[in-house]
Amino acid sequence: MIVGEQKKIAEIKALVEPYRRILILGCGTCVKTCFAGGEDEVATLSSALRLALSMEGKEIAVEELTVERQCEDEFIQEAAEAISRNEAVLSLACGAGVQDIARTFPKVPVLPGVNTTFIGILEKHGLFTEECLGCGDCKLALFGSVCPIARCSKKLLNGPCGGSKNGKCEVDPAIDCAWQLIIDRLKDLGQLKSLKAYVEPKDWRRSNAGGPRKLVRQDHIV
Amino acid sequence: MSGVCVNSMYKKFTLKITVFHCINTFNDAMTMPWGEDKEVKINFIKLPCSSMVKDVFLLRAFEAGADAVIVMVCPEGACRYVEGNLRAKRRVLWVQKVLDEIGLGGRRLTIFNVAPGDENAIVKIIEEIRDDVVALGPSPAHYVARLA
Repeated sequence: MIVGEQKKIAEIKALVEPYRRILILGCGTCVKTCFAGGEDEVATLSSALRLALSMEGKEIAVEELTVERQCEDEFIQEAAEAISRNEAVLSLACGAGVQDIARTFPKVPVLPGVNTTFIGILEKHGLFTEECLGCGDCKLALFGSVCPIARCSKKLLNGPCGGSKNGKCEVDPAIDCAWQLIIDRLKDLGQLKSLKAYVEPKDWRRSNAGGPRKLVRQDHIV
Repeated sequence: MSGVCVNSMYKKFTLKITVFHCINTFNDAMTMPWGEDKEVKINFIKLPCSSMVKDVFLLRAFEAGADAVIVMVCPEGACRYVEGNLRAKRRVLWVQKVLDEIGLGGRRLTIFNVAPGDENAIVKIIEEIRDDVVALGPSPAHYVARLA
């Protein structure tokens, strides 16, 4: 899922300052799971914003709505009426959701309330970890399904670097050494010797470094 | 309990405290000594477990005019639902940060472990918070609105 984190209230307050009537629009999929932009976060942020502004003698009308996904038109349309009632939208979706809302409603200012951070997993309740960089050329099969691009601080394809200690990265001991995980996993699978093969340098043109990407599925386009 | 709600920086104000509490901590059968006190308004909100207290409930209590919010939970290790009181504590800590961030002040929100039916402890907590909030003054969120 896409993992994001709500912006600081001071930053959000500055973004909504010019408006007297806003819609805080939540997204009920990824950012809900990481406690950044679901129904609960929409309600909490609305309340915090009203309180913050009331202490300055200002009032803001805040409407709350959460749609299932802000990155799909059929769900975005559910917000159309609420959007038309407000001067601006504060979207608590990831960057994709914010832009899709803006594209669908070109005359309405759409403001981001969340910092989109990474593609990751819920490792345990309250802990989200980065697992994928969306590089466009998945090589997980070579590494026992542990990604050295996303999880090795040095992005080494032919590791390990030799700097890890007790399975922790020398860059930051809070980070598990991805190469330790790769070796442990390949040992468990009985595939350790596959590491003898040299891995070619990565073609980064298939990643975002090659410019914005597009996926076209002709079989679904009428 | 006397309603000593005078802070020289502010006009005399009626102190409003909202208390969220687990029904296992205390219930309606208990008689609280400040029932007739017109200087301190206490709004008790009972929950089946303190873990039911959401971030937004705490903030909305302040929006509704509370000068202080207290969450009373069972002692650690004594929650009927195992970890409800621990979850409530985490949420209170989170909302305290939000209150600090918006300038309302995390001190206005507190959490206490209370043994079931310990009326004396409950009275003492409320008196302590009352004195603390009288010193802080009314909640700036609705003090501004009252002046407007």
